Amino acid sequence: MAATSSAATRNAKASSITVWLQVDAQSGWPDLVAAANQKFASDHPGTTVNVQYQNWGDHLQKFDATLAGGGGPDVIEMGNTEMTKYMAAGAFAALDKSSFDNSATWLKGLAASGTFAGKTYGVPYYAGSRVDTYRTDLFKQAGITKLPTTTAQYTADSKKLLAKNPKKGFSPLYIAGTDWYVAMGFVFDYGGGIATRVSGKWKGLLSSKQSIAGLTAYKAFFLANSRASKTTDETHPNPYDVYAQGQAASMIGPSWFTCCVGKKYTASTAQFVMPGHIKGQPLPGFLGGSDLAVPVTSSNKALASDWIKDFTSTAGEKGLQAKGNIPNATNLLGSSVNERAAARSWFVPTAKHWVDVENGNILRNMLAQILTGKLTIQQAASSASDNIASVLNQP
Amino acid sequence: MAAAAETTFDRSRRRRRFWNTTLQASTPYGLIVPVLAVIGVILGYPLYWLIRLSTERYGLFELIQHKGASVGFDNYRSVLHDRIFWHTLLRTVVFTIANVSLTIVLGMLIALLLVRVSTVVRVLLTSGLVLVWSMPVVVAVQIFYWMTNFQNGIVNYVLTRLHVGDFFQHDWYATTFSQLSLVTVLIVWGALPFVVITLYAGLAQVPHDLVEAAEVDGARPWRVFRDITLPILRPILLILTSLSIIWDFGVFTQPFLLIGQSKITPGNFLMSVYLFEEGYFKTDYGRGAAISVLMLLMVAVLSVAYVRKMVRIGDEP
Repeated sequence: MAATSSAATRNAKASSITVWLQVDAQSGWPDLVAAANQKFASDHPGTTVNVQYQNWGDHLQKFDATLAGGGGPDVIEMGNTEMTKYMAAGAFAALDKSSFDNSATWLKGLAASGTFAGKTYGVPYYAGSRVDTYRTDLFKQAGITKLPTTTAQYTADSKKLLAKNPKKGFSPLYIAGTDWYVAMGFVFDYGGGIATRVSGKWKGLLSSKQSIAGLTAYKAFFLANSRASKTTDETHPNPYDVYAQGQAASMIGPSWFTCCVGKKYTASTAQFVMPGHIKGQPLPGFLGGSDLAVPVTSSNKALASDWIKDFTSTAGEKGLQAKGNIPNATNLLGSSVNERAAARSWFVPTAKHWVDVENGNILRNMLAQILTGKLTIQQAASSASDNIASVLNQP
Repeated sequence: MAAAAETTFDRSRRRRRFWNTTLQASTPYGLIVPVLAVIGVILGYPLYWLIRLSTERYGLFELIQHKGASVGFDNYRSVLHDRIFWHTLLRTVVFTIANVSLTIVLGMLIALLLVRVSTVVRVLLTSGLVLVWSMPVVVAVQIFYWMTNFQNGIVNYVLTRLHVGDFFQHDWYATTFSQLSLVTVLIVWGALPFVVITLYAGLAQVPHDLVEAAEVDGARPWRVFRDITLPILRPILLILTSLSIIWDFGVFTQPFLLIGQSKITPGNFLMSVYLFEEGYFKTDYGRGAAISVLMLLMVAVLSVAYVRKMVRIGDEP
């Protein structure tokens, strides 16, 4: 890092590009960012790369401000659920797909999230599924010799874990109450869904029979396994912080959660695919991912595109894979726990206004209402379902 | 000749007097020109843009094009027909009344206490208040968040230890009432120093002999407070109340940060949070601007009492 910053000062007068990456890269793979910068610097002597790390909570507001006032990034990382709204508004420059490594075999879902009206605006960066991270020592202590293969068995094992760990507030499986990525996994596991397009209009699906069954199963599972707040999200606190404090025997989240389990538990931490309610089928996991895009306001579009090339090169993607992520192309896929979990996955409705549903906390609010018992599952789901349909159907 | 000369002299004298009075009369106006110009630039210009924006469709697309499409009063119509707007307004009014009353009543009580205590205690109390004043809001929010934390917050720990009840993993953010109560505690705590110190200064103006005379006549403390202290403090109280109303009505940082983005829903909106969500999160800047103008009008109405009082105090000899 010291070398990079001294180089930046030396070439302060030369041209430079600004890259906005999310904090995940900062905590998970700063070495890959540095490697891409080095490659870029050797191809473009005199041009420096200024990487600025952003938070998921407010990076879009910051980006909007730069669209209006200038001074924005040349490369921006976007969540795959955030792309559509911006592509539709013309916020990004079209890119030459064929110039990127492995573009013919890009993961379908990720490639689709960066394509609008036949043009490529987003280069797939990486994907991630959600896996179960657990304490091997605690599982062994509780006499769990075989990892659970159904949610029912998980709950049974939790009872054994609780018996061995009677400390108040201890979670056999820590899930934040309003972690909708996990909750929707249950909905999809029971054949439900969030919303679907019927003859040009969005229709809410959360109040369907299957979705209600999934939400009912989620509530029962949450109450039996997690002692997290029923109203908090999955970053307040971070599940791995709870885990690192010895307050949980397992947690669900991106596979890079192993980064932060604490020195004490690193050796006794392993991961497995979270099971669903039917034996042999994983719980459908949210296939999250990121794309890299070049804003129309950038004055260095060619350089920006070159940096993306370096960062998403085959070598770069293999590096991301080694960190526990899913690489951006099918020909690079391996058989890690993350990649096996991705075998059964779900994604949000690809609608221009989906990001408004996320920002409006419609799903989180519904989950809080269900878990606290403020509303019945049917009431909460119906109201959320109508709400989602009306947001998605906005012009 | 003599008459004519006199007339010319008279005329020129009169003219000079005319210019003198005109100059004298216009001097104050001349002197405030720079101030008016500055106000015009830093307030008037943005205000003009705000009002113009509120009559335009201005979303992400328009933001990138740097050009909005005029839609007349559509934004206002849509806001005024929004049920969420009216619910939010009602909630904000109740919230403001609660916050202002608590601030003024507690502030008054602490100010009265300051008069009675020994110098050492007064210095300690005042320093404490000044420290509260100097704490940045964002830092205060973070500390409140830690203290009320679900997992291992100290508030739950202390309440449980004091046998107030079982507060182990009590969720302070579970209901709207509980969320807004926490926000109220935070706001009142932050607002007290200014109110207490101002009222304490006001109390110093209450003439001692008047209080003594009343006490000799057998007036009880409450009577003294109601009939002597309160009338003297009335102008200060009015100004403090008006200012508190204006501040608390438009408060944003405390509710938005303490409740937290992932828990903000139409069910716990306050006016400025509603404005932020509609304008920025939904990237509908035109509609956001319309809400902003409406809020501005409401605050303007609320400030009338304050401005009138200020003007009247200025008129007093």
